[in-house]
Amino acid sequence: MKILVVGLDCAAPELLLGEPLPNIRRLMEAGAYGRLESIVPPITVPAWMSMSTSRDPGVLGVYGFRNRVDHSYAGMRTADSRWFRALTMWDQVAIQGGRSVIVGVPPSYPPRPINGVSVGCFLTPDTATSTYTHPASAAERIRAWVGDYPVDVKGFRTEDKDKLHADVLTMTRKHFEVVRRLMVEEPWDYFHFVEIGLDRIHHGFWKHHDPKHVRHDPSNPYKDVVRDYYRLLDHEIGTVMGLLDADTLVLVVSDHGARALDGGFCVNEWLADQGDLALRSRPSTPTPFEELDVDWARTRAWSSGGYYARVFLNVRGREPEGTIAPQEYGAVRDELAARLEATTDPEGRPLGTKVFRPEEIYRRVEGIAPDLIVHFGDLAWRAVGGVGWGAVHVQENDTGPDDCNHAQFGAFVLAGPGVPALGELKGAKLLDIAPTLLEHAGYDVPDGMQGTALVRAVPADGAPPGEQDDDALVRERLRGLGYLG
Amino acid sequence: MRCTRVVVVGLDGLEPSIVEAMMARGECPNLARLSREGGYRRLATTLPAQTPVAWSSFAVGANPGAHGIFDFLTRDPASHRPQVALFRYEQKSRFLPPRAVNLRGGKPVWTWLSEAGVESTVLRHPCTYPPDAPRGRMLAGVGVPDIRGGFGATSWITDAPEGPGRDSEHLAQVTPDRDGRATLHLRGPRAGAEDATAEVRLRVRPAAGSAEASVELAAEGSEPLTLAEGWWSDWVRLRFKVGALQRVHAQVRFHLVSVSPLRLHAGPVQFDPDEPLFPISHPWDYAGELRRGVGRFHTLGMAEDHTGLNNGRITEDAYLAQCDDVLLERKAMMHYELARFDRGFFFCLFDTPDRIQHMFWRFRDPAHPAHRGETPPPEMARVIEDHYRACDGIVGEAWEHAGDDTLFVVASDHGFADFRRAFHLNAWLHSQGYLALKGGVEPGEGAGDLFEHVDWTRTRAYACGLAGLWLNLKGREEEGVVPPAHAEALKAEIAARLGGLADPERGDLAVRRVVRREDAYSGPHVERAPDLLLCCAPGYRISSASALGGVPGRLFEDNLERWSGDHVVDPAAVPGVLFMNRPVAARAPRVVDMAPTILGALGAPGGETMEGRPLLP
Repeated sequence: MKILVVGLDCAAPELLLGEPLPNIRRLMEAGAYGRLESIVPPITVPAWMSMSTSRDPGVLGVYGFRNRVDHSYAGMRTADSRWFRALTMWDQVAIQGGRSVIVGVPPSYPPRPINGVSVGCFLTPDTATSTYTHPASAAERIRAWVGDYPVDVKGFRTEDKDKLHADVLTMTRKHFEVVRRLMVEEPWDYFHFVEIGLDRIHHGFWKHHDPKHVRHDPSNPYKDVVRDYYRLLDHEIGTVMGLLDADTLVLVVSDHGARALDGGFCVNEWLADQGDLALRSRPSTPTPFEELDVDWARTRAWSSGGYYARVFLNVRGREPEGTIAPQEYGAVRDELAARLEATTDPEGRPLGTKVFRPEEIYRRVEGIAPDLIVHFGDLAWRAVGGVGWGAVHVQENDTGPDDCNHAQFGAFVLAGPGVPALGELKGAKLLDIAPTLLEHAGYDVPDGMQGTALVRAVPADGAPPGEQDDDALVRERLRGLGYLG
Repeated sequence: MRCTRVVVVGLDGLEPSIVEAMMARGECPNLARLSREGGYRRLATTLPAQTPVAWSSFAVGANPGAHGIFDFLTRDPASHRPQVALFRYEQKSRFLPPRAVNLRGGKPVWTWLSEAGVESTVLRHPCTYPPDAPRGRMLAGVGVPDIRGGFGATSWITDAPEGPGRDSEHLAQVTPDRDGRATLHLRGPRAGAEDATAEVRLRVRPAAGSAEASVELAAEGSEPLTLAEGWWSDWVRLRFKVGALQRVHAQVRFHLVSVSPLRLHAGPVQFDPDEPLFPISHPWDYAGELRRGVGRFHTLGMAEDHTGLNNGRITEDAYLAQCDDVLLERKAMMHYELARFDRGFFFCLFDTPDRIQHMFWRFRDPAHPAHRGETPPPEMARVIEDHYRACDGIVGEAWEHAGDDTLFVVASDHGFADFRRAFHLNAWLHSQGYLALKGGVEPGEGAGDLFEHVDWTRTRAYACGLAGLWLNLKGREEEGVVPPAHAEALKAEIAARLGGLADPERGDLAVRRVVRREDAYSGPHVERAPDLLLCCAPGYRISSASALGGVPGRLFEDNLERWSGDHVVDPAAVPGVLFMNRPVAARAPRVVDMAPTILGALGAPGGETMEGRPLLP
């Protein structure tokens, strides 16, 4: 049995499963679907790799796009495909002699040398100048099919909404065209594609779409952009499915969901106010953390911003100018965690912030994990890393306009031969995906995969839905031709 | 002669003899001026002379063997059952999407243009369902089925006693309560073995005081509307539940004949342009864009409600009113696109001349059998010419968009002829011993339709569709009996007996000639064609009973139907028309010459590979 994974980065269950999308609905009716609990943090990198390897971020040793590579104060680096060594679904397929096509599964730059074809994801620096496919010659074919191949839209945090919208549509159409071509021209047993456009549409248009967003304007001209984009995806997915053999297991899945973003919580501003972060001078204009004059010898904690916060403690013997004695580490961290959990909105109401300790949520903690992972307001607030805003709560964003955050629950729809029509399935987790697909398609599930299969196969009903049209229907259909009145 | 733009206005079925006479009388000023300033010729059509066949040849520049469309109908050799020949549906498994597959092959002019980097806008060209994917835009035309996959099934809603439903009609008997309320369930797509239905709530309001009698109609998710006697409703949107989670959207119009008794006609339930069940446009959401641009429109391939008229459910006036709506919405689409058309190929087809002539041809002759002995109202005799005048007006409007850099073309795919006598070809095959019925079954009503009682083990030839007949060939047909080695001799024998056949009751020649498909066609799709093609004399046509696999008790019969004009006769008798704003560089242009002409005018390659020859010097 072949496996097709259609990844929709950031697809929200209430939209993917709630909108009347005909192709998605057909899959839902034929198989199983539901909310899919993502990892902490629910972030594209490493979420797609956690799904593909069934391993949590601690085991992978990758805790976000940017990770500390040493205990210095400047050691954050962006993860790329080489950071991930764990066995993926396509690796297992290859071990058992199968061939794969992987398009845009983050991170897939530099291109993975796989048994098959691999096309780089949105982290590819520039498809015109860098080698972003394996084999490299695939890039020439892609150019012949669609011309320039955009792996992402440039600057999705923009006020030029019309351009953003047009760019995403163009990109998405090209992505699906390449997928269809590869699907037909390449032999494959496993096909995995991730569309990043949905994430960009959510971040760019969520406040225009969501009446509950704090800055929603009901008269805005972009109200339907998000829903229409789901319709486009459904249409494109339908054309892809039209190319499949009946003996294919199909999964439509997202790495995390989406939710309204109420504002930014300036985490380093807050740490400075609280006396945890010592600054020799406090800038009067927003300044990135890397440019701050930090008095490390008097600092206990600092944070890296983003959709969530990674808080690091300055521990003696671990960090160069550590201030926290190793034996005090636990108490200091608990005390800081309690203060973070008590953070409030501008009116003083509790935000409902969630604080995670890596060793409590991961099976192992490899690499250098943050000491605390913080979801401000359960992700209703993003973490702003810069200082100089003059307030802890801001509406502006240090990286440009963005009115959507990731949500903990993504969505999945699974259908195929032998998948029972289970309807909605509760309790599914991101790490369950790989064992589910491998087991159902008849592959071995490698040791170390942390999830469990979501469905148990039933004997496949091989027959296509053969409705033999009865004479009355044939008569009705044909007699409506006036010639035959 | 290189052009930046080609604009083609198609006028389906425009008959040369009528146009020529009207131009001579000064009644089609735009066409007359076009013929003076450019050129006019009769345009040779295809065998058979049918809309899907001829326009497909227009598009690919070659005979039907190149595109595989030989008729509206064909038969499934595995079951002998008649079926639609324009498209088919397929679904590989329950969770994979069903697909519509266009059965028109060949490489149409817009594909050649796309490859040359030239954009096309193609509105309602026949046999574009589901649409091709040209550079530009396309809205599918003839071939788009109703929501149930047919050519167009109507509904008749009444509270009066009623016989069985008529042809391609669902009968809905309703009993309004004391407040006049009733619920109607309109049939939608098949969902498994069942018909999905959509609920429409009715409220009958008899005339009271100064208020007219009317019916209020409300469907789920659609604004209620009030319909007065003698009027067509606006579109009512319908939603069909076809599974636990799946919904199909559709649209329908009603015509209220009378309030008491309640007699309400619903036209075919058709695809919603915003959310069609299968693609009807390219890009996929272009139909929705057009709906937003010009308003809701008919999506059905044959949009005109000839079923309602032919069944006697709606009047001639109601039919004409609906045809007018179709014409106006098509005109609006044409203007919407021509306003932004600056280069490339533009095509828009107006089907109404064909559909009006089919139904109103009888009024040209007070002695037409379809009058069934009654005297037709004299004003109806003008309807066809009136419609030609409306078409001439459209030509004038489109022509305004043509500049010096534009090749402007007006064309019809075939002409028109009388249809007075129906020829029951299967009855003839039975009478000659080629077609056998099972023991005890005689030709006539008892023989049923869809070849129900045909004894295939003793049948050597059978007729299906409007164009010709097939041998029951061993190895091709299920239960085929004719050994391939005998096929040629059998075809020659049938052709010799059938060609020149006279109508014994009238003494007129009925079948001019019979042609072997190998002599009529060439190309990759010849094998889909009937083995033998009939060229009937004008006035005659293969009967509908025979076309659907019936074996009537007589060989010929008067055509008593309102569908009284036709063109599926000897193509030589029903050429179309061709007007261009340039001289036509051929004495006898053919419909297959159009694609090379268009490609040549736009400087795109492809024409040299086609059977047709360019008509520009």
